Amino acid sequence: MKLINTLLVLTVSSVIALSAQARDKRDYHEMVYEQGCKTCHDQGMKAFPSDNSCLQCHDMAEVAELTKREGHEAKQNPHDSMHYGQEAPCMECHGEHTKKQAICMDCHNFDYPKFK
Amino acid sequence: MQTRRSFLKFGAGAAAVGALAPLSVSANSSDIKWDEVHEIVIVGSGFAGLAAAVEAGKLGAKDIVVFEKLGVYGGNSTLNAGQACFANTDLQKKLGIEDSAELMVQDQLASGRGYASEELLRHSAELGPYIYQLTKDCGCVYREHIINTGGTSATRSHQVVERSGAGFIRPMLKTARSYGVKTKIRHKFEHLITDKDGAVLGIQVRKDYHFGHDDSGKIINVKADKGVLIATGGFGANVSFRQALDPTLGSEVGCTNARGATGDGLIAMLAEGAMPVHLSFIQSGPWASPDEGGFGYGAGFSLYNFPHSIAIDRNTGMRFMNETADRKTRADLEVQRRDKDGNPNPALLIAPKHEAQKDPSMANVLKYNVAWEFDSIEAIAKHFNLPEKTLKKQIEDWNTYVKAGEDPQFGKRMNMSTGIYLTAPFIVQRLWPKVHYCQGGIQINTNAEVIAAKNGQPISKLYAAGEVSGGVHGVSRLGGCSTPECMAFGVTAARSMMKA
Repeated sequence: MKLINTLLVLTVSSVIALSAQARDKRDYHEMVYEQGCKTCHDQGMKAFPSDNSCLQCHDMAEVAELTKREGHEAKQNPHDSMHYGQEAPCMECHGEHTKKQAICMDCHNFDYPKFK
Repeated sequence: MQTRRSFLKFGAGAAAVGALAPLSVSANSSDIKWDEVHEIVIVGSGFAGLAAAVEAGKLGAKDIVVFEKLGVYGGNSTLNAGQACFANTDLQKKLGIEDSAELMVQDQLASGRGYASEELLRHSAELGPYIYQLTKDCGCVYREHIINTGGTSATRSHQVVERSGAGFIRPMLKTARSYGVKTKIRHKFEHLITDKDGAVLGIQVRKDYHFGHDDSGKIINVKADKGVLIATGGFGANVSFRQALDPTLGSEVGCTNARGATGDGLIAMLAEGAMPVHLSFIQSGPWASPDEGGFGYGAGFSLYNFPHSIAIDRNTGMRFMNETADRKTRADLEVQRRDKDGNPNPALLIAPKHEAQKDPSMANVLKYNVAWEFDSIEAIAKHFNLPEKTLKKQIEDWNTYVKAGEDPQFGKRMNMSTGIYLTAPFIVQRLWPKVHYCQGGIQINTNAEVIAAKNGQPISKLYAAGEVSGGVHGVSRLGGCSTPECMAFGVTAARSMMKA
């Protein structure tokens, strides 16, 4: 029984440690992490960041320009798509702490090789 | 996490009611702390919701709000082929097509197999030319070409140049905003708020909601002075709900719908005593491809090519259906294509490249591995392992039907493929139905008012339009006939609210 309790404590504490420190993160956001969680979590730590949060640093029109596609694929620009224009919020497709995929992929076999 | 009730300041009696009826909230208006008040509250930003917003704006409503559950606008409406059947438009006249609202109603009644509502279909068909103009006024641009869809006796499916519902949604969203309509994403409708007589006072909404995270965001109470329009779409993406109604539609069956098509609005109205109609009539799309998710590109390709192409069973190498029959006829036959162990063995749609290349859908399906090009009948037979001789004979026979203008095999309407022979090279796509549309929903009348189950009377200040309403189309809806109906009843709901 004692052994089980010890194991339990060890397991629980490692889970806590994981949740506090070892979360998925993007290395190039290190600067943001240094400024504290609330830099992005503008609605409190238990809530998702607001859709404006990423836009403190990123500009949708600039991002759209970076992912511009030509000709036949022009409407497949994920940041300026035929379906949603530039209005799709970042978190619809991108996750900082969890893996996601672009919502386009719900229906299409698109190739977005630089997707992060 | 605060509970829903802690946001309501009920009197003692009302609180007891709230505790007993978790799916709806009944109270006196004065007992509720309202977080927002609007003249017109619209739930859902698809065709029905946006058409209502635009019409209400045109009629002078000053304070309209549209709530969208997802992070993006347009719901399921922005993910289709952008087709709408209208009868008697200037474009049809220009192209020499004779048609009428009456003919459109008769076509739909036939496909409805005795269950469709003639009254609601007629109301929608007669509003068609108005809706056509309204969308053009919003900035929607139609192709000069009108499409043949299955089960129709006249060519009437008008298509926007984007070949996607996005070609309606984005101009309508822009127009709605130009009327001052407030549009809000991540607002999930939770419950209706009604008074003790059952009249709708407003709704509870989960603000800052993230799809798939049921407890995200917080509950707010929104008052609706003139009424609430529920335009939340169908429940095709809710597997347990649809499978309870049709046991054949489990999770192994694909779905074309947006992920938000979970039936929340329908369920909340059922909780409030709305009349359910035809919930088990769930339609699968016969043009879908098993080689991509959702609606994808395959649907557009097969929609364009069905009239002059043949669908082939891989066991026999022969046709098994009229490729332009109504959706249910085709989907039911397609899903019977099985190998000898009973596993799905999707049929092949074989199209002539010389015609297929006239539509941009061909480039898309080829590029994204949804269809493939073959130089000869032999190559198709070899690749898909089907009997070459019978396939060859079938294609020869088909070409004699094209020449004669008559299909003795399945009675297909051949005036859509005059002179278009099936010759190499071929483009081949696999066909496997996907859950597409819920004919069932809650009952409405020609004012878009929601009908109560207990007495057949309208529920005060509650309106519904689009796929969430039921009974309009009966057993099977014709292609291109939901879009105009969504908009017609959205417009109707706006007119009713502005008159009330």
